[in-house]
Amino acid sequence: MSDPKRFEALVVPHLDAAYNLARWLARDAHDAEDVVQDACVRALKYIASVERGDARAWFLTIVRNAFYDWLRRNRPAEIVPGEDEAIERAVDPAAIDPEQAAVRLSDARALSDAIAALPLQFREVLILREFEDMSYKEIARVADIPVGTVMSRLARARGLLQRSPLLQLIGGQASGSAS
Amino acid sequence: MNCNDAAALIAAYADGETSLLQSHSIRRHLQGCAACAAQLEALTTLRTRIRAEAPRHSAPPALRARVLATADALSQTSATRRRADGDRWRWMGGGALAGSAATLLAWFVGTAIIEARVNEDVAVEAVTSHVRATLGNHLIQVASSNQHTVKPWLSARLDYSPPVPDMTADGYTLVGGRVDYLDRRPIATLVYRVRDHNIDVFVSPSRSRLAPSDLRAVRGFNVAHASGADMEWLAVSDVNAAELTAFVQKLAVDAGPR
Repeated sequence: MSDPKRFEALVVPHLDAAYNLARWLARDAHDAEDVVQDACVRALKYIASVERGDARAWFLTIVRNAFYDWLRRNRPAEIVPGEDEAIERAVDPAAIDPEQAAVRLSDARALSDAIAALPLQFREVLILREFEDMSYKEIARVADIPVGTVMSRLARARGLLQRSPLLQLIGGQASGSAS
Repeated sequence: MNCNDAAALIAAYADGETSLLQSHSIRRHLQGCAACAAQLEALTTLRTRIRAEAPRHSAPPALRARVLATADALSQTSATRRRADGDRWRWMGGGALAGSAATLLAWFVGTAIIEARVNEDVAVEAVTSHVRATLGNHLIQVASSNQHTVKPWLSARLDYSPPVPDMTADGYTLVGGRVDYLDRRPIATLVYRVRDHNIDVFVSPSRSRLAPSDLRAVRGFNVAHASGADMEWLAVSDVNAAELTAFVQKLAVDAGPR
């Protein structure tokens, strides 16, 4: 199979997944397009090296790398090395006006906003897990972290969402406060 | 299994990442433990809400089209490479390869395509250039609707000075220009817009070994050619063939002395 045919067969089917990931990471439609375009150019270049069963994780790895390169060029201030620092820098729940939060409860965008507000390293594992249904192993490969780190970051991402004042999640924590 | 053991595994269980044995133990624990059951419930509810409320963004049609067009153009390029030499439409002859031109191209698709470029059909190459420029947002290096801005910008970067006709009266707006590479030479490229379509016009000095005028379609893009004002004009666009042909012929005529 020629390279362009391989590209059409292996990469193009994952264009939505690629755009969705880029869109949630960059949090901007136009920037996401730039990232995906860059990723496609890279994918075309290395298409000969990919196996069929592996194509989605391979392509999303390229998308993620393209995103981080883009981030370094365009928004270097958003790059945070440590997890704790990232959480500190993220939206401080106490800073959110309760009244405003109450208004947001009826707003269907509240959950999207809460996900978008997650620090990058938690957001990316959550997106790969919840939107792409990727296994921990696949996520570990795409995000270039150990499986144990995937699990801890997913747990923190979910914890941050569940505690987010932007949301009122039913169930609560271990207390099982809902109904 | 106690609550501590369960807590460590509940998320993995919810994600379908536990072994059969672990899953069985967790289910048994959950039956007798309301707190852990609630935790699982909270996780599944969060998942349900994310899937229901947070959009999974689909690639915009324009992005998808650009990516597909690139793959198409490349597959046409490979097909052309395999064709017999006689089938080639040599638009411009000669032209020594500048090593730097090859280097500048290398970022795009690597050496395979550069090798293909040595002998490939110019029409296909023009479409590839057009698609690459669109894909990479490199369509315009000098943005101006003023021919007297675009022309000197191009002249300063090339060893010839391409005419830049004003086609406003015919409904074609000049939006800018760039220096592209075609047939392994830097080439003046004018970008016109009609309605929402971009038209790339590659302009090069006439050569003695010139191929006949022709019109071609390459993977959905039309390519039209005309000669005039001591230049060769090659237009690439997704506007219809008849319109593109008329446009490029008018360009070649208008570029000449009046």
